[in-house]
Amino acid sequence: MASLAVKMRGITKVFNGVNANDHVDFDLRKGSIHGLLGENGAGKTTLMNVLYGLYQPEEGTIAINGRTAEISSPTKAIALGIGMVHQHFMLARPLTVVENVMLSRKSRRGIFLDTKETARELRELSDRYRMGIDPYSKIWQLSVGEQQRVEILSAIYLGAEILILDEPTAVLTPQETEIFFDTLREMRDDGKSIILITHKLEEILSIVDEVTVLRLGKLIGAKAVDETITKDDLTRMMVGREVLFHFPPLTRDPGDIRFRLDGISAMNDKGLVALKDFSLELREGEIVGLAGVDGNGQKELCEVMTGLRPSVAGKMTLDGEDVTNHEPAFYIQKRISHIPEDRHATGLALNWSLKNNLILKSFARPPINRNHLVQTKKVEENWLQAEKDYQILAIDGDEQVRCLSGGNQQKVILARELNCEPSVLIANQPTRGLDVGAAEYVRTRIINARNRGCACFVVSADLEEILQLSDRIAVIYGGRLMGILPRGSDPLEIGALMMGKGLEEKLEERELEQQNIH
Amino acid sequence: MSNRTSIKVALEIVGTVLMVVGALLIGAVLVVLSENNPIEAYQAMIAGAFGSKQKIAEVVVKLIPILIMSLGVSIAFKAQLWNIGAGGQFLMGSIVSVAIALYVPVPIWLRIPLSFAAAIVVGAGWAALAGWLKARFSANEVITTLMLNYIAHYLLLYLINGPMQDPYSDLSQTDVIPDGMRLTKLLGPTFRLHSGLFIMIAVVVLMIFFWRTTLGYRIDLTGQGEKVATYSGINVNRTVILTMGLSGGLIGLAGWIEIFGIQFRLLDGIAGGLGNTATIVALLGSLNVYGVIAAAIFFSALLCGGASMKRMTDVPYSVVDVIQGLIIIFVIAKNVVWDRCDPMKLFSKKKGYSQHAE
Ligand SMILES: Nc1ncnc2c1ncn2[C@@H]1O[C@H](COP(=O)(O)OP(=O)(O)OP(=O)(O)O)[C@@H](O)[C@H]1O
Ligand SMILES: [Mg+2]
Repeated sequence: MASLAVKMRGITKVFNGVNANDHVDFDLRKGSIHGLLGENGAGKTTLMNVLYGLYQPEEGTIAINGRTAEISSPTKAIALGIGMVHQHFMLARPLTVVENVMLSRKSRRGIFLDTKETARELRELSDRYRMGIDPYSKIWQLSVGEQQRVEILSAIYLGAEILILDEPTAVLTPQETEIFFDTLREMRDDGKSIILITHKLEEILSIVDEVTVLRLGKLIGAKAVDETITKDDLTRMMVGREVLFHFPPLTRDPGDIRFRLDGISAMNDKGLVALKDFSLELREGEIVGLAGVDGNGQKELCEVMTGLRPSVAGKMTLDGEDVTNHEPAFYIQKRISHIPEDRHATGLALNWSLKNNLILKSFARPPINRNHLVQTKKVEENWLQAEKDYQILAIDGDEQVRCLSGGNQQKVILARELNCEPSVLIANQPTRGLDVGAAEYVRTRIINARNRGCACFVVSADLEEILQLSDRIAVIYGGRLMGILPRGSDPLEIGALMMGKGLEEKLEERELEQQNIH
Repeated sequence: MSNRTSIKVALEIVGTVLMVVGALLIGAVLVVLSENNPIEAYQAMIAGAFGSKQKIAEVVVKLIPILIMSLGVSIAFKAQLWNIGAGGQFLMGSIVSVAIALYVPVPIWLRIPLSFAAAIVVGAGWAALAGWLKARFSANEVITTLMLNYIAHYLLLYLINGPMQDPYSDLSQTDVIPDGMRLTKLLGPTFRLHSGLFIMIAVVVLMIFFWRTTLGYRIDLTGQGEKVATYSGINVNRTVILTMGLSGGLIGLAGWIEIFGIQFRLLDGIAGGLGNTATIVALLGSLNVYGVIAAAIFFSALLCGGASMKRMTDVPYSVVDVIQGLIIIFVIAKNVVWDRCDPMKLFSKKKGYSQHAE
C-alpha cells in the first residue's frame, strides 16, 4: 500500500454544541486525487479546515506523511506543504493578484518587495496551466471564475504538496473544468496529493481515485472509485436514500411579454464595455436560460436588470412601463427577485442572523414593518416557514449566517427571493455549491415559480442545468447575445455559440450590410 | 431569546468585565510603582464616586452628557461610520445654544426651545457634513470628523476671545445665560444635578427601541457592507449622511444640556475629553444600549472617583488616563482573542483527547 499523505483519526469538531465532525477518519494516499462527498452541511469544509489548521478539533489526531502533526495554524499547514483553496475566496479585494500572493510569505529581498520577480513567476505558472491570469489585475475586477483560478495559482505557487480544493469546479464551465482536471492530473503525476470537494458526481467518477463520504458530520465510508461504482451508489451513500429527479411538467404556455431588454449596453467594474446592444424578452410563465462561459457579461446583465449597475444605452420595460436605470429599491418594489452570483458580499449580510437575512429586503414593508417597528413575531414566523420549506440546516435561526455551510447559505437566499411571489426572477448561478438533492429541489422551486406565472431568467455556466430548465435558451458571448434557441436544442450548437462561433459571420454580415448602404 | 443566545450575551458581559478588571489591576500596579497603596487608592476612588449623596449626584451629572454622547456615537459606529468627532459636534451644539440664549431677541421662553432645536440641528449638520464628504468624495470619516473637531475648537476659541467674549470680563469666556433659562436643579441649590436627567432617560428609552425600528435596521444593514446594503434596496449614500446626522444630533443635544444645566456659558475646555470618553464608552458597551449604559456609569464613576482620589491621596490622576487607555487596547484586543478561543466551546460537551495515531 502506498504511504499516506494525510491520516486523520477520530476528528471531532463541535460548533455551538453541534458536532460538525463526529469521530471522522480520513486517509489520503500520496499521489492520488481523493474526492470528499456529502450533502450541504455534512462537515466537509469543517474537516478540511481542521486539516488546514483553521480550526482546532476537540478530539482526534492528524498525521502528515506518517508523522503526527499538531497543526495549530494555516502557517503551520503551509509549512507542512498543505495548501487550501476555500469555497469562498479569501482574497484581499483591493489588492492585485501578485500582492495577494506576497501577503502569504516573506519577501526574498528582505525589507524590499519582490513584486516583479513574483509577478513573472506567477505569469509563468499561469501560462503553464493555461489559467490566463494577469498578476497585476486587481482582485475586485476579476470574475468569480478568475478569482478561483487565482486562489489555485497561489496555492500551487506557495509549494503545496497536499492541495485541498473546496468546490473548485462550482464556478467553472465544463470546458474550464476539463482543462482544470488535466492540470490536476498533471499535478498528481508530479506526486502531489489532492483532495477535491465537489457536489458533481460525474466529476467524482471521472477524475477521482478514491472517495470519502460524510453525512451529518459522520463518516459513512471510503471507497476506491472504479468502473463498478455508479452515480446512484454515491447518491445513496451521501443522502441515505434514493433521490428522485422529478420535475413538474410544463403546465402552461408563456403569456405576455413581462420584461424587455432593448439594446442594453453597460460597462464592467474596470470601465470596459461588458454588454453590447443586448436585447431579450422574458415572458410571463417562461424560463429563459442564459448560457455562457463565466465572465461574458452575465453578472453585469443581472445587475442592470436590478438597478445595481446603470446601463449606458438601451431601454428596459416591465409590463410596458419604462424601467431603465432606477434605484435598486424600485425593482424590489416591482417584485423583481435577484439571486446574485456573489452570495457572500452581495446576497447576505454575513454578520446578521439567519432570521434577519430572510427579511433583508422586506423589513421596511408590512407585515414585517408595523408603525416603523420590525415585528419580531413576524420575523420568527417567517424563519420557521423558510426553515421548513427549504430544509435549512441551522440551530435556531439566531446564529450568524456566516456560520452556515455554503449550501445552506444559498438556501437562505433562495428562501428570501422566492417567497415574495416574484413577478420576475433573476437567478445567477442558483444551484452553485448545492448538493444534488438541494440542487434538484431549487430547480423544482424555480419551475414552480414559473408555473405560477413568474418570468424566470436563469444564468448558469452549467449547460446541463440550462438544458434541463429552460423553455428558451439565450447564449451570451463577449457581452453580446449570440442567439436564442428553443428547448431541446443540440448542446453542441449551444456550446459552439458559447465559445463565440458565429460571431465573425455576424459581424461580417453587418459590415456587408453597411457597405451596401453606402 | 434562545438559550444559546443568552449564553453568548453572558459571555460577552463576562469578557467585558474581565477587561475592566484587568485594566484596574494594571492601574493598581502603577499605583504601587508610584509608591502608594493601591487598595487605599481604589477605596478613595470608590468613596469619591459613591461616598455620599452629593458624590453620587455628581456621578449622575457626569453621566448625562457621557451617556447621551456615547449613544450618539454608537449609532454611527453601528453603520461602520467611525465618527470620532463627538467633541466637535458637542462644541458646535454648545456654541449655538449660548449664541441663541444670549443674543436672539425673542422672549426667554421661546429661546429655550429655539436653542434646543438649533443645538440638535447644528450638531447633526456638523456630523452630516462628514457624512456628505464620505458619500460624495469617499473622504474617510475618521479624518474628516477629526478635522472638524479642530475647526469647532478654534471657532470656539475665536468666539470666546472675540465677538462673544463677556464684555465685563478679561477672561476668555462668554457671559452667562440668564437665570430663567437654566435647567431646574433637582435636589436643591447645593446639588448640581439638573433636569437634563429626564432628557437622558428619554434618549435611553428611545434608543432601546431604535434598533428595532426600520431605520435602525437600515443603519445596521449599511454597516454590513455597501454591496449587500445596495442590493437590499438601501440608498447607501443617503443613509450614511442620515446616520451621521442622527449621531451628531444626539451629541449636539448633549452640548445644549451641558450649557443649560452646568456650564451656563462658553469657555475653553467645556468639552473636556467628553468626545474621547464617549467613543470609548460606545466601544466598551459593544454598541449595545444596555452595554453602553453600564459602560457610561462605570466611566462617570471612574472620572469622578479619580478626581477625588487625586485630592485625597498622592496618586496622580494620570492613573485614570492609563486605565482609560488600557480599556481601549483591551476592547480592540478582545474581539481578536474572543474569535480565536471560541469561548462557546466551554458549553459544548468536551471529552478528553483520544489517541488514535500510530
Ligand atoms: N464557524 C462555524 N461556527 C458555527 N457553526 C459552523 C461553523 N462552520 C460550520 N458550522 C456548522 O457545521 C456544519 C458543517 O458545515 P460545513 O461547512 O463543514 O459543511 P459542508 O459539508 O462544507 O457543506 P457545503 O456543501 O454546504 O459547503 C454546518 O451545520 C454548519 O452550520
Ligand atoms: Mg463547504
